[in-house]
Amino acid sequence: MLGLLLGAPVAPVVLGACTTPPAAPPAPDPLAELASTARSDASFARAVAAAVPSLATAAGLVAEARAAHAEALQREVDRARPPQPPASSSSATPPVVDPASARGRLVDGLRAAEKRIGELIGSVPRFRAGLLGSVAAGCASLREVLG
Amino acid sequence: MITQPSSSSSPAPLPADGAEAVQQALGAEHAAVWVYGLVSAFLPANLDGPTLEGMTAHRARRDATERLLAAGGATPRPAEPAYVTPQPVTDQASALAVLVTAEVDAGVAWRAVLERTDDAAVRTFALEGLTGAAVRAARWRKVAGVAPVAPPMPGVP
Repeated sequence: MLGLLLGAPVAPVVLGACTTPPAAPPAPDPLAELASTARSDASFARAVAAAVPSLATAAGLVAEARAAHAEALQREVDRARPPQPPASSSSATPPVVDPASARGRLVDGLRAAEKRIGELIGSVPRFRAGLLGSVAAGCASLREVLG
Repeated sequence: MITQPSSSSSPAPLPADGAEAVQQALGAEHAAVWVYGLVSAFLPANLDGPTLEGMTAHRARRDATERLLAAGGATPRPAEPAYVTPQPVTDQASALAVLVTAEVDAGVAWRAVLERTDDAAVRTFALEGLTGAAVRAARWRKVAGVAPVAPPMPGVP
């Protein structure tokens, strides 16, 4: 399998319309996306904690919890599909503006994770349902901390 | 963990998938309703709002859980006359501690439902139960000054 792929032309050349399409790559794991947003939430929260004294404690808690979510989700992604591609480039942390919008953005990130999990919860395997449920509940209780 | 004074439950054949987990969650809701009734005498008036909110939420969930079980052909197990708290409730601090315990117990029970059913509607219902319990646990820890206010993974036993 690997040899064939290496031997095949990899450049995005335009071939004839009648070329047999290659086998579709496996669908991306939805938990990989959740892990990735958890990582960016954690990194944004760390930046907020450092830059906004009034949010230092709450944002620090968000940073810690979202990093834990990212780790737990990534562990499950790797367990399900061991050959892991190199980690994608870490998303740039958006600049911290003022406390009100920083808080709003933290809350928005948490809400988005809860919403996505709400969409996935009915269709994932049982073990994942428990994991995702805890992540969503963790996000909701972090919103309670942010007030 | 809040425990029942005696093990009165007899294992019965439960038709619906995950019904036993839902029965356990119902037990946690019964216990939470009892706890909210117990603590009100030990909490100051400024906590009446969140106390009433928690009591109302657990009563509504208890009723909805009973309906869910009945609809699945199972007989909802009744509440115990009383429950055993980990520590005696004698003042505000111990009242807040038992509220956190009740919410943590409920969260664990609802996460267990998530792991024991494939039914999408039951899972959504369980997710709401886990989330509500986690939020109220965080609220009570905040009032009590207990850290961490919001552990990352509520519902993990």
